[in-house]
Amino acid sequence: MNEDQTLLHDAAERYLRDNYDFNARRERLANGIYTDPAHWQAFAEMGWLALPVPEALDGLGMGTRECAILAELCGQYLVTEPLIDVIAAVSALIAPSPRGEHWLGQIVAGEMIAVAAIDEGAGRRGAKPSTTLTHSPSGWRLSGTKHWISAGSSATHFVVLASYDETLAWVMCPCDAPGITREVFPTHDGRGGATCAFDTTVDERQILFSGADAETALDAYRELAMTLSSAETLGAAHAALNTTVDYTKQRVQFGQPLASFQALQHRMANMLIQIELTRSLVYAACDAADSDTPDRSRFARAAKVKASTVGRKVSQEAIQLHGGIATTDEYIVGHFFKRIAALESWVCSRGEALREFMAISG
Amino acid sequence: MNASNPDPTDYSAFREAIREFLASALTPELARAGERTTSVFSDFEAGRQWQRILHARGWGAPEWPLEHGGTGWDIQQHYIFLEECRLANAPNPVMMGVQMLGPMLMHFGTEAQKSAYLPGIISGDDIWCQGYSEPGSGSDLASLKTAADREGDEYIVNGTKIWTSMAHHANWIFCLVKTDKNVKPQAGISFLLIDMATPGITVTPFSSLDGEVEQCQVFFEDVRVPVSNRLGEENQGWTVAKYLLEFERGGQHFTIDLKKQLRKLQRLLASEANAAAEDPTFPYRVAETQIDVMALEQTELRIKGSVAAGEHAGALSSLVKVSGTELGQQCAELLMEAAGQGATPWQSEVLSPGYQGPTAAPEECVTTMAEYINSRATTIYGGTAEIQRGIIAKHVLGL
Repeated sequence: MNEDQTLLHDAAERYLRDNYDFNARRERLANGIYTDPAHWQAFAEMGWLALPVPEALDGLGMGTRECAILAELCGQYLVTEPLIDVIAAVSALIAPSPRGEHWLGQIVAGEMIAVAAIDEGAGRRGAKPSTTLTHSPSGWRLSGTKHWISAGSSATHFVVLASYDETLAWVMCPCDAPGITREVFPTHDGRGGATCAFDTTVDERQILFSGADAETALDAYRELAMTLSSAETLGAAHAALNTTVDYTKQRVQFGQPLASFQALQHRMANMLIQIELTRSLVYAACDAADSDTPDRSRFARAAKVKASTVGRKVSQEAIQLHGGIATTDEYIVGHFFKRIAALESWVCSRGEALREFMAISG
Repeated sequence: MNASNPDPTDYSAFREAIREFLASALTPELARAGERTTSVFSDFEAGRQWQRILHARGWGAPEWPLEHGGTGWDIQQHYIFLEECRLANAPNPVMMGVQMLGPMLMHFGTEAQKSAYLPGIISGDDIWCQGYSEPGSGSDLASLKTAADREGDEYIVNGTKIWTSMAHHANWIFCLVKTDKNVKPQAGISFLLIDMATPGITVTPFSSLDGEVEQCQVFFEDVRVPVSNRLGEENQGWTVAKYLLEFERGGQHFTIDLKKQLRKLQRLLASEANAAAEDPTFPYRVAETQIDVMALEQTELRIKGSVAAGEHAGALSSLVKVSGTELGQQCAELLMEAAGQGATPWQSEVLSPGYQGPTAAPEECVTTMAEYINSRATTIYGGTAEIQRGIIAKHVLGL
């Protein structure tokens, strides 16, 4: 990390360490509050929401590597607010749009939460959505249903992917507009998800991208989402390992700490080895994106595959090495496991990433 | 520790110079021997010839300091040199002298020792082997029993060493010996440099699983070694050895060879010899291995970056050793599957640099099975994978 990155990391970690208490989080989620307004306001004040906004648009103009620093910390502290969701949407869909500037001020101030809506049910989130944007003499109309929008209940706006005239469009929709029906549900990873039906009129100014630009934006969104979800998985997996190391040093069985058993030591060593290998690949994916090298897409997919594989394995091992305590909701380690499991298929699954990696590698 | 940031220095001219040298100096016979290397050692004579050629060019020990015949290259230049040599299929010279003993001598040796031994190492005139392991002392190296009893200006050495690679070609051996049995094991060990021509030394070579002879057992019976051949102080041998083990573990670039294995695999898959063509799962497994190799490569770059910034690689070198060797085994397995029965012919003569005759196996897989067999040793020598995991558990996780 360079000096600026270290400053960003240390300040963010200080905030989360001092303010993001696990037990308070549990209590809040039990009351159905998935995005804590106080936290979100603090994120805004610390500039996290302005991170991917170019300086020309009054943002901080930071790169993927800096966004990944926050994503990693979100994993480590089990942040339930939709930070990577908003960063990915802002960076790939809103800030680059010629019509995006209109919303950026509110987003950066924390007054508006915009997340992308792409899923349409099992395996249907490709480049041919059944949600449509159509144009008639009476105006623009958005129709269709988007499923399983992670943090969809916390959002104030959806950035909806739609088919439009043989190609694609991205449409910014306020969640409370007429003709929008949102059904919310809690998710296992501590978020409020949503499935949302759209049958609503749209002002032309809400269309962020259409045509080839919309396709490019989809690629950019997916690539960034892969890298950020890999970074969050990395942070959660490393936290799960650290929790496991601490626990096995304290827990005494057969008259000695669990950590003294070589069978367990070697398993924890394996967890560390795989986490560090993943870290290298995630950071390389960030650097490739930030220097816009030709292998950036390949690196993003490699990172996604590796982080998913390692995240799954490490978080399962963390539970096994703890024993029964890890299967309870009061104990933290199972929550890393759940978040990692949910991230695995967020925006792009491990399998999709692997197939795309193979296609790129030729 | 920023991995893929491009270095400000432009190394393309350097790389080009290495390539030009290789194009003229590396004969087809030597390259053939290099290509058909099935373990860490190439054909012995080819390796020795190559060491002499490198030495004549001034590159016999690139990483040594200039005053001892090194190059003064930076860390990136060393990497490029190694990478180009490997890609061009240069044979591997026996490395125990240049890579292991050399740094030790420079660190612990007297001026007399340095001037006596370093020139022979770098020229390839002296072949050194490493006398560490014993039949009863493998991972628990400090329990070694080969004794060196002081008698005036000499030590009288009795005992045996095993897994002494290339001892049958070596004229010198560096040994860990017991000089004090009454203290804790690590505190009673000394480091001796022994002329293999000394009376009382017997070398018994034995075949490895692939049928080749690289390993030996060395027996010492009342072998008289001048005290002046001791490296470091008496009973400080463990300290010397630990420094050496760091060298054996650190500074390794596994991904150069892993990428070479993957290229071999691609060639095999594209050839008539591909036995995995009908297996729809095979490409997925290859892709996952490619991703693992990318992850290791980026990790090596991270470590290289921190070493260049003056940090110590420490236990990270254990991490690289475990992943590098296990990934090598994974690649060797994929190559075996892709070769199928084509891997099974055993034809020792194809490994010789001069061999021009027919091969029983398809050209793409003449060494596939030997490489697979020998890959099993990689997680055993130089500190087993279990020892490395123990180091990570202790020094990184604090367990």
